[in-house]
This record gives sequence, structure tokens and C-alpha cells, in this order.
Amino acid sequence: MKVLLMGHPNVGKSVVFNRLTGANVMISNYPGTTVDFSKGYMKIDGKDVEVVDVPGTFSLEPKDKAEEVAIEMLKKEKDAVVICVLDASKVERGLYLALEIIENNYPVLLALNMWDVAEDKKIEINVEKLGEILGVPVIPTVAISGKGIKELVLKIKEAAPVKVDKIVERTEGRGD
Amino acid sequence: MTLTVDERWDLIEKISKETVSFGKYRHTLKDAIGELTVKPLTGIPIAIAVMYGFWSFFGSFAGFFTDGFFCKLFDGYWLPWLQGVFPGGLGNWFYAIMVDAGHTENGILVASDNCFESFGVLTSGIFLAIGVVLPAIVAFYLILTFLEDIGYMPRLAVLIDTVLHKIGLHGFAIVPTILSLGCNVPAVTASRILETKKERFIMMTLLAIFIPCGAQLGIMQEVIPESMGLVLVYLLAGYFIVGFVLNKIIPGKSPEILIDVPPYQMPKWSNVGMKMWMRVKHFFKIAIPFVLLGCVIVNVLYLTGFIDWLANVLAPVLCVWFGVPKETVGPLIAGFLRKDLAVAQLSTIEMTKYQMITSVVLVSIYFPCLATFMMILKEGWKELLGSVAVLGVVVFLYGGLMHLIWILLGVA
Repeated sequence: MKVLLMGHPNVGKSVVFNRLTGANVMISNYPGTTVDFSKGYMKIDGKDVEVVDVPGTFSLEPKDKAEEVAIEMLKKEKDAVVICVLDASKVERGLYLALEIIENNYPVLLALNMWDVAEDKKIEINVEKLGEILGVPVIPTVAISGKGIKELVLKIKEAAPVKVDKIVERTEGRGD
Repeated sequence: MTLTVDERWDLIEKISKETVSFGKYRHTLKDAIGELTVKPLTGIPIAIAVMYGFWSFFGSFAGFFTDGFFCKLFDGYWLPWLQGVFPGGLGNWFYAIMVDAGHTENGILVASDNCFESFGVLTSGIFLAIGVVLPAIVAFYLILTFLEDIGYMPRLAVLIDTVLHKIGLHGFAIVPTILSLGCNVPAVTASRILETKKERFIMMTLLAIFIPCGAQLGIMQEVIPESMGLVLVYLLAGYFIVGFVLNKIIPGKSPEILIDVPPYQMPKWSNVGMKMWMRVKHFFKIAIPFVLLGCVIVNVLYLTGFIDWLANVLAPVLCVWFGVPKETVGPLIAGFLRKDLAVAQLSTIEMTKYQMITSVVLVSIYFPCLATFMMILKEGWKELLGSVAVLGVVVFLYGGLMHLIWILLGVA
């Protein structure tokens, strides 16, 4: 098993990566700091699991060379678990990539990172409900301070592929 | 099953309606500062102030350590001590490579009295790397890391966007450009954030030719402080002129960008420290071996007479076309390995201020250092060949142009 960290540029994938693996990859407050992937290891149930910090990408259709690297990585790793890192203050945008990855049958977890920024902006997210609708584990995190990382690690095992038609059904079932 | 783009957005809208709610947002001080630094009217003066502050800090920090401490240590103690204890003595070939080659005055070989002139591996090699370049690198990255982590870079990108479109790039190209002022190697990799092949080619070529690295800036500050401004003006002008021409002749697109301007954040000091450490480590890894190796190679080439021979062969080009002394051949060879080494060596050659400016600009633009060269090769050999071709033409024309300007000004 491998764990891929994916998401938009500048949502904090590399910060999560450093937290998970104890590695030190370059992190900055601007999009495009990571242009190549870095690998590291973390322990799950006493076993070493490889974690890959993938360059940021907006969707699965690449628009620059760093995004190409990201998408090739995903296509190569058929049996990977994907931690989709989202900027919690811009959930809608981040969900697009998450849905694309789910549709490609990867087990996915959502890390709603920069939760503190979202709180500052008075954005409220119903984490439980979001997890219910998507059928994947959803964890609020503040990677820079380490909040939520432990829970994220615990939930990696729970991630399983979801059929997107089920997600569509669940939103329709809510009478809209 | 997969969804179409529209279906996916529809689904997202439904999901977010169920799960996300927006409270009333209050405008904070952070937002106000954010706006002030990105709107042109206030943003441009602030950007100029930030850059000026960057520059002054760089100069005074590096100068403080180099002049105040390392020069005294190396010239006053290290060099005389080595000259005393190292076996061989003046005139011996091994002594010349490792400690001091000396120079002739009235036909007599005299020992050097400072670490710029001695050019031995153990004297100049170590002094340049540790005493001059290291403080410059530390000063540069300290400020850069701080600007990166608070989130200033994307704002700078927005401000400079219009200007960079003129040379086939867009605002975000400021990130590789500024990184390049530290070291061209990571900057070449950073140019991957640009979308099209055309943009990446223009970016890499401009970085390799016109952007002096932190090591070179540090040395220039030390050995030619009075001419440094003009050198930088020439390099900056070249960056825009050549960029403008490349944009016209290279086919391909330079798209607009949409960038996220992240909110300002207080930098985490642990992160700043970690990044500083990684960057300084990277410097040690790629710079020190090349500086030391460069000293050996240049010394061997001098001792075997190769440099004198090449100087005579190239004299017509150097003296007539570029208007610089033929002795600049030695530094030009050193420049293949390290620009800092080359500039330090240039400073010991006797010439006028204007010849010095031309030769320092030539050393900067004529070839990227070996590490950068390898990095561009990694991005693609076609790009590399293209860059080298552009470089050849630029060096010849630009060097000649500078000579012409000096002639017209009556100082050549």
C-alpha cells in the first residue's frame, strides 16, 4: 500500500507530508512550491507505508509540467490510498478534484486543512454530514500545528473505494 | 461510472448546500494589509521598499561578517600561517595549487598578502566559500524565506504581471527569478510552474544567462562594490531585451494566469529555520566541491601554460571586440565551474573600472555554471541546446554592445 497526498496548490500537502513522515520538505506560503514528488515513510500498525507528496493540481487534466508529474503519479499507483487535502475555506473547489479521484476508484480520505482559517472566515462545515454523503472519511486538520493528524492516520485503514452514483443518490435522496 | 464536468459541479453544489454555511465575514486588519500590498497605487511603492530593504540587509549582513570577521581571520592569520608551515614554498607546484601561486613584480616572484590573490585551494578556495559566499547566502535566504512564509511572493507576482507579459512570461515568473538570485539550480526546477514550453524555455534561458546567483552577488559586493550597480543594470536590461526578442521569435503561447493570493500568515520560526538549513546544506553540497575543484583546475592550467596560450589565441576577440584584457581567459574558464570564483579572480587582474564591468557581465552571461547546466539538461536536451544557442549569440552581441557604449562615452 502507498499513500498519495493530493490536492490544489498551496493547501498544505507538504506540511501534512512533513507531519506524517517526520521528513523535511520545503514548504512556503505560495502555490507551486512542490514541483516534483517526494517520498517518505510512516508507520501504520507497525508496518512501514510509503507516503508520496504529490505536486498540487487543480484537476486530472494537467495544465503545467508540475501537474503532469502529479497525474502520472496517480495513474501509476493503481493500489494507492489518496489523502485529498482541501483548503477548508474553499471546500467546493477542492471537491472537484476529490470527486475525480473517487470516480477513478481510488480509496480516498478528505483532510479539510487550514480549518483554523475557515473558522476565522466564519465558514461552518458539517463534517459528519459531508462524510456521510461522500462515504469517505473526512477529517478537519490544521497541519501546521499538527491538529487532526493523528485522527487522519487512524482513518487511513477505513478508506475504501466509493461508487459515485451512490453519492449522487445520497444527495438526491435528501429531497431537493 | 464517471461524471461530466457539469454533472460534477452540479453534484458539488448540492453537497455544499447541505454541508457548508457561511457566516457574516468581518474585514480584518490582515485583509486590509493584504489589499494595500496588492493594489498598484500602494503596492508598487511597498514592493520597491521591500526590495530595497532586501538589498540593504543583504549588503550589510554579508559585509558585516565578511569584512568584519572573515577577511581579518583569513588574511591576518590563516594565510600567513599556511605560508609558513606548508611544505614546498613559493615556486613549488603543489604549494602553488594548495596555498599560493604568488605573482611577479619586476621579475621576482612575490607572495600574496590576501586570500583573493593567492588562489590556492586551502586559501582562496576555503575563504571564498566560507568567508564571502556563505554569509551572502545566509543573508539572502533569511529574507527570502521570510517573504515566502508570510505569503508576499504571490502579491509580487500580481504586481509585476503586466511587465513580465512583455517578455512572454507572466507574473508568477517572478518566483523562479527571485529564487535564481539565490541559486540558479533550484530556480530551473521551479520554472516548471509555468504552463507552456515557450514560457519555460524563455524562463530557463533568461535565468541561465542574466540572473547572477547569491554567491556571485556576495563576491561582487566584496570586490567591486563601486561597479556592482552598473553590472546589475546591464544584466537587468539584458533580461528584458533578450526576453522581449525571444517572445517575438519563439512560437507558442504565453497564457494569462489566475493565481490564488493566500492570506498573510505569521511565519513559523521552526519552518524558517528548517528551510534555511536545507538551503545552506544544498549550497555546501553543490558549491564547495566546485569551488575547490575550480581552484585546482585553474591553477593546473596556469602552471602548464595552457591559459597563457589560450589568452594569446583569444586575444583578438577579447581585446578588440569586447575590449577587455586577454588575462580574463583564466576567470572565464573558472566561470564554467563557479561564477563566484571567476569574479574573485577577475578582481585581481589589472584593468579599468569599465573593463571590469564588461568582464564581470561577460562572466555572468557567457555560460551557466556546471550545476545549472546539468539541471537544464535534466529538463530536456532540446531546451539545453536552444539555451546555449541563444547564449552564444547574446554574449557576442551584448559584449560588443557594451564595448561600443564605453567607446561612445569615451571611457574605453
